[in-house]
Amino acid sequence: MELYGYKCKKCGHLHYPYRMVCKNCGKNEHNEFDPVPLPRKGKLLTFTILHNPPSDYEVVTLGLGIVELDNGIRVTGQLRIPNPKIGMKVRGEIDVVHSAEYDKQYGMVFYKA
Amino acid sequence: MRNVYVVGIGITSFSRLEYPLAEIAAYPAMMAMKDSGISKIDHLYVANMGAGRINQQTGLASAVIDTLSLTPAGATAIENGPASGASAIIQGFQAVASGMHDVVMVTGAERMREVNNLEATDFVATLTHPLAEYIYGVTLPSLAGMFTRLIMEKHGVTSRHLAMVAVKNHANAMHNFFAHLHQPITIEAILDSPEASTNNPFVAEPLRFFDMCPVSDGGACLILASEDVAKKINRPKIRLAGLGQATDTHAVQERKDPTELLAVRGAAAKAFEMAQVKPSQVNVAELHDAFTILEIVESEEVGFFKKGEGHKALERGDTSLTGKLPINPSGGLKAKGHPVGATGIGQAHEIIMQLRGEAEKRQVKNAKIGFTCNFGGFGNNVCCLVFKREE
Repeated sequence: MELYGYKCKKCGHLHYPYRMVCKNCGKNEHNEFDPVPLPRKGKLLTFTILHNPPSDYEVVTLGLGIVELDNGIRVTGQLRIPNPKIGMKVRGEIDVVHSAEYDKQYGMVFYKA
Repeated sequence: MRNVYVVGIGITSFSRLEYPLAEIAAYPAMMAMKDSGISKIDHLYVANMGAGRINQQTGLASAVIDTLSLTPAGATAIENGPASGASAIIQGFQAVASGMHDVVMVTGAERMREVNNLEATDFVATLTHPLAEYIYGVTLPSLAGMFTRLIMEKHGVTSRHLAMVAVKNHANAMHNFFAHLHQPITIEAILDSPEASTNNPFVAEPLRFFDMCPVSDGGACLILASEDVAKKINRPKIRLAGLGQATDTHAVQERKDPTELLAVRGAAAKAFEMAQVKPSQVNVAELHDAFTILEIVESEEVGFFKKGEGHKALERGDTSLTGKLPINPSGGLKAKGHPVGATGIGQAHEIIMQLRGEAEKRQVKNAKIGFTCNFGGFGNNVCCLVFKREE
């Protein structure tokens, strides 16, 4: 599984998350983006430890952070890092980030690189 | 464009209210009609965020206008996240300024205590990006926690500054009958004493319990009218002189510099320009302190203080009730409460009280120009308003 960025077919600008009109050139017709797998390595820009996660996350605390990937794209993800520090190198894996009764959602989970 | 005046105001207590949502909207509307002597309106705007999701009620405006027996006047509900309140005021302003209507009512209401705190937090979290934020368990407190950590690194803001905002706003709320929290707090109890970590546990590090606004029910109402109507009403003349609204990326991660709140900056600049007022001329302000850090950063972004110096102004006491520019004399969202859809109208209500000179023990002396900042999303949709007292 991959997490995809979306590259504008007109100007090559890469976006995440998906948007329908390019932020850079603004010239797209419908669906003129190529999905591009995002790199997994990056550095931690900021983070929080959430002590009251939403009720269907069955954990006591939930680490959340914004990571700048090696190509400059930023993603929000869950952290499985004991003592996170701003600026630390991290690597991402795609894993279950939320599971409801009949539905699992996958996203980026970060570990210490 | 015609001038628009606030001729009547009303509010409920912000707390847990045991009556239905439509009545939470209608009660302050009745107060505002009494306040202004107006009994007929051209249009009703109802600001609300959660009726469909947490109260199982849609089409709220129809319910409210009929509860008030004001049919067949037009009625529209406005949902714009936590900025619903000021967004509805902007719609009401446009209707009167354009000449389409002479008298409109803008009422906001929220009944969040119908669900527990975790469900209420989850409901507000649905405004985050569904795929890039929400699925990870991102909530508004977690976005605020990540933002706070960056501001601490960049500008030297500490937990002590955040606690100072909470202490100030709790103290102000002691003088506000309608405030949710009538609970004086001290820095010692929430930061320094051995019990501090029990009194004030982490919620979203580095933010703690007393950095968060409470979950409130509540409603507030303004009646807006044209100059001809306002002239006939024997109340102080308060003009809605400037309005600005601006947006930013839906997902916080996409902002070039995530320590900047560009929508706050943009909305404030537009409002000040329209009102022909400089930030330094403002006498009293209500800022959207859903989290203590936001009061500090918004006070910089709207132009009251230089970037990175909001916490220094706070240290000097500039923003306290007797300071140069009192911020959140009502207690702010922190202590007055945050019934999300009603909040922007609640802020305006406080400014009208202040400009009329009716704020009693929390009155800011000689307040002539007031300002509100209503912050939607995590800064992705922001409305700012400037009010002027005219003699």
